[in-house]
Amino acid sequence: MARSASASIVGSCSVGGFEKSLYDLIKGLRNHKGAEDEYIQNALRECKAEVKSQDMDKKATALLKLIYLEMFGYDMSWAAFNVLEVMSSAKYLQKRVGYLGAVQSFRPDTEVLMLATNMLKKDIVSPNIPALSLPLATLPHIITPSLSMSLLPDILSRLSHSSPVVRKKTIVTLYRISLVYPEALKLAWPRIKDHLMDDQEDASVTTAAINVVCELGWRRPHDFLPLAPRLFELLVDSGNNWMAIKIIKLFATLTPLEPRLTRKLLRPLTNIIQTTSAMSLLYECINGIIQGGILDGEDNLQERDEVASLCVGKLRGMIVIDSDPNLKYVALLALNRIVTTHPSLVSVQQDVIMECLDDADISIRLQALELAAGMVTSDTLQEVVNRLVEQLRFAPLSASADPSGVADEDFEEKNGPASTETAKVLPNDYRTEVVHRILDICSQSNYSEVEDFEWYVNILVQLVGLLPLAEMDDYWNAPQSGQSQESSSVKTSAAFRIGSEIRNIAVRVKGVRMEACRAAESLLLIDNRPLLFPVGSSVGEDVLGPVSWVVGEYAEYLRSPSRTLQSLIDGGNVSLPAKTLQLFLQAIPKVFIQANRDCESRDSWKSEMSLLLARVVEFLESVAAHPDLDVQERAIEFLEVLRLGADALRSDTETSEVPFFLSSVIPSLFMGLELKPVALNAQKKVVLSASLRLDEPFNDNLPGLFDRLDGSMSDIHSHGGLQDFYYVAASSPPALANKPIHDLSAASYLDNSYQNVLAGSGAQKAERRERYQNDPFYIASLGGNNSSGTSTPGVPHEGGLDIDNIPIIDLKLEDGAKGLASREPEVRRHQSRRMEVAADETLGVEDLSSSPRGNAGAGSNRRGLLQVDSSTLERSEYQQAQSQSQSQPGLISVGDDGDREMKEAMQNVEQVRLRMQRASERIGLEGTPAEGELVKKKKKSKKAAKATVLDGGEPEDKEKKKRRKKRTSEHEPQR
Amino acid sequence: MINAVLVFNNNGQPRLTKFYTQLDTQTQQSLIAQIYHLVAQRPASACNFLPLPPLLSQQGSSSSSSAGPSDAPTQITYRTYATLSFIMISTSTESPLALIDLIQVFVESLDRMFENVCELDLIFGYETMHAVLSEMIVGGVVVETNTEKIIAGVRSQEGTTGKRRAVQAASTSLGRGALPGLGAWR
Repeated sequence: MARSASASIVGSCSVGGFEKSLYDLIKGLRNHKGAEDEYIQNALRECKAEVKSQDMDKKATALLKLIYLEMFGYDMSWAAFNVLEVMSSAKYLQKRVGYLGAVQSFRPDTEVLMLATNMLKKDIVSPNIPALSLPLATLPHIITPSLSMSLLPDILSRLSHSSPVVRKKTIVTLYRISLVYPEALKLAWPRIKDHLMDDQEDASVTTAAINVVCELGWRRPHDFLPLAPRLFELLVDSGNNWMAIKIIKLFATLTPLEPRLTRKLLRPLTNIIQTTSAMSLLYECINGIIQGGILDGEDNLQERDEVASLCVGKLRGMIVIDSDPNLKYVALLALNRIVTTHPSLVSVQQDVIMECLDDADISIRLQALELAAGMVTSDTLQEVVNRLVEQLRFAPLSASADPSGVADEDFEEKNGPASTETAKVLPNDYRTEVVHRILDICSQSNYSEVEDFEWYVNILVQLVGLLPLAEMDDYWNAPQSGQSQESSSVKTSAAFRIGSEIRNIAVRVKGVRMEACRAAESLLLIDNRPLLFPVGSSVGEDVLGPVSWVVGEYAEYLRSPSRTLQSLIDGGNVSLPAKTLQLFLQAIPKVFIQANRDCESRDSWKSEMSLLLARVVEFLESVAAHPDLDVQERAIEFLEVLRLGADALRSDTETSEVPFFLSSVIPSLFMGLELKPVALNAQKKVVLSASLRLDEPFNDNLPGLFDRLDGSMSDIHSHGGLQDFYYVAASSPPALANKPIHDLSAASYLDNSYQNVLAGSGAQKAERRERYQNDPFYIASLGGNNSSGTSTPGVPHEGGLDIDNIPIIDLKLEDGAKGLASREPEVRRHQSRRMEVAADETLGVEDLSSSPRGNAGAGSNRRGLLQVDSSTLERSEYQQAQSQSQSQPGLISVGDDGDREMKEAMQNVEQVRLRMQRASERIGLEGTPAEGELVKKKKKSKKAAKATVLDGGEPEDKEKKKRRKKRTSEHEPQR
Repeated sequence: MINAVLVFNNNGQPRLTKFYTQLDTQTQQSLIAQIYHLVAQRPASACNFLPLPPLLSQQGSSSSSSAGPSDAPTQITYRTYATLSFIMISTSTESPLALIDLIQVFVESLDRMFENVCELDLIFGYETMHAVLSEMIVGGVVVETNTEKIIAGVRSQEGTTGKRRAVQAASTSLGRGALPGLGAWR
């Protein structure tokens, strides 16, 4: 097809005699330093003309230049058709350029590919080995299901080619074809297997087959178990390390399925470990033993222990004896795998691992860091963490002799891509990673490994000062900042995590609440701020938010409430981000109350208090017009409350007591039950009543209401009533939702009998909550409710609900008690220690699927960059077993991602179609051998396709044809 | 499998890009840039393994040690020779140490092809470089690790034209030899 198109070219654009070769282009690039882009644009223009030339030499040269420029990011997708033309050239070297162009520039959306089918077919059966290798090497890059279907018979025939070069490439090509077209594997596998089993086969073909099996193996290990004897033979006898590595990798996926294999492998593997001089093979043996679960069994304990200690010993040797950083790195990698199953074996090696934490190489450090996190116990925790903190603090000291701690900052600024001297500089992302790890280590399983919480609080405060100025390298942030922040909640800023840790400790560990609160206070104090949070860093903003909540909530522990208050209402705070400012606003009245309490006892209370009040009011006024609505709302609410307070203070001139409003009413807004930690997903488990309709509008005729706004009030009311009467009466209980708000409260008061409370319908709870939300005086009754075990917030929220308050609202339900009880043993285990850590409270059983970690797991299933999707294979083989009996189109496993599902569906449609086609063949050819069927298939498929086109049942094929026609007609007039 | 093979020089200019899955040009370029950024930061004494760049680490399991094979690329192995860095991005079914050796085989084969290969040879003979690579790796799977056979495969395609062309190009006006100074050329 492409051939005929190129033959019909009419010379429309001949370039005037001179055109550049690739060499000229490269030379020209060099001569146009500084103006390269302009030069390239010119070159592209020339290429565009040349590539349309009639002269194949010129065309190929132009294409070669385009491919070269594509390497630098200059798009050449527009030349796809010209690529096909050059691919069809009769001269091998031109053909090669064409195929290279296809590999480098074709994308999944390249449409011209279907024009190439015949040409590819012809090239695959070419007698010339280089020419025949071109499509074999190119197909994996461009293969599509329909292309595989038409090329499969020809490619299969190449498996019996006389040259091993062709055979090995064919095997690999077949593997890639079966990824997009799983049916192919059914036909290809028996023949690949023959090559694998054949002793006389060329070694490189066997290796290629092993490599392919290794790729397939982990998807369907069961199917490859029968190969074990042959694999074993190859492993022991071949003496080819490349292949041995792959075989061991393969065995690692097979052994978990077949315990007998373990026993058989143990000896040869130990043998290799003890004798081989190839480090790569040694490493893979150890790795295979670990990953294959050979260490995990029950029986034969002594031998296993010997192997385990042999492995760990060898790994230790790789770290200590050889100074090769690569060996160090992979040894740590292997230890990281062992640590999950044999932590005790690894923790014996603590000394070397700790040394690696100070290694000059960041990659090695990160591995060691991960390992440290994995092996830490309550005994070693402090040591490890202290060491890490020291490392951060004296970062420059560890490598250079610079004695001053001030150098810290300089080094951070110097950090850049150019630093090729020995790694004395800690890159910012490494610093951040260390901080994250420290927090991970300490907070794991609800702080079960932390013994000394005072120490931990102290560490947290130190960490704030050690954070890098910018969280990550600006370099990374620029192109993809938005995504990374949204995609993983795990990667919240380290600064925010530190702040949250302080808050967590304050909430969970009563014993050190005072220390935590004082730590928060010290971070918050305005005098300390320039020191801790230098200009230009975002650290402060992130830490201050949660810290200010602690200061407010536990104001009674503050060293100096009035100083804290001063810091909270400092004029500079206005420039803080809205999220932080919201939390500040929430803390201000709480600290204010505490400050008031402190000065009550003094004689001068009145002047002090009014001074404080005036200052707070002044600050609130300054943010009352803040652009962020949340900030504005909170500011205005508290402003009004405090103005009332100021009025009370002024009017009560004669009495010597603090006005009731200031001494009781305002404090009562914030007093209540103690807040407890609540599990992240507990809120979701509060069952919403079926009658609660959040999406339903209050009034369908809202625009109408606005229209009548000028009209009389009574008018509106009567209208609303009418609406209710006509539209709502049918659904009786939820009708409430449609009534105007004042009606609603009245109605629900009527409903509010004790029986209803006991019945505990969710809607009533929700209503009650709503009601209490606006009523600060319901605290007492709330307490009552709580003890009776119903779900009500422990704190009356003021209109501006504090985001950070959410996780610590007491949400104890009947089931909540159960959930707590199940956690009890864990807490009790550590009761010998001084501190008790409150666990998250939740309702019912922890639902793993809805936890963020579960989500992360699902996310990783998403197909990512560079990734080949081999999941189709899993399903295909499953169907292979089934398809003999009958076709079952319903066997689609549910995908986890939208576009994968789509893809699967497409594939399924394709498969079902094929199966139907094959079934129709089978009627005629009952009992023909597979090969025979294959040859037939080619003809049949055409016929079948034609048939479907005729009765219009297969729009896809029809469209293909149409498009093909359109293509050719499009291009012909051009030439 | 091997997901991509990249070669770039000390300034981050690509000399060879081969992605074994289809990827749009834009993403290819930013991936190259990110990996170059990582490579450039590393001292010569550091090990030959790179952490995953943001483009790759976003897609899930960030820790390379999370056991069990998958389709996701988890390893990046690089090796620097004079002015050039060779990079292989692979999944966990490849052995990290073997990949280092594989890069060595690639460079040795290029050296045999071009006789004392230098960056300039590869610039002008980049077609030949692609040919060498496709004798070693097809569709992301290693098919040959024997230098002799690789050379024989390439020779059967082009005779010694690749070499001749490169030498011709290099010797006519640009000259060979001053290797370190050639970094900035395109």
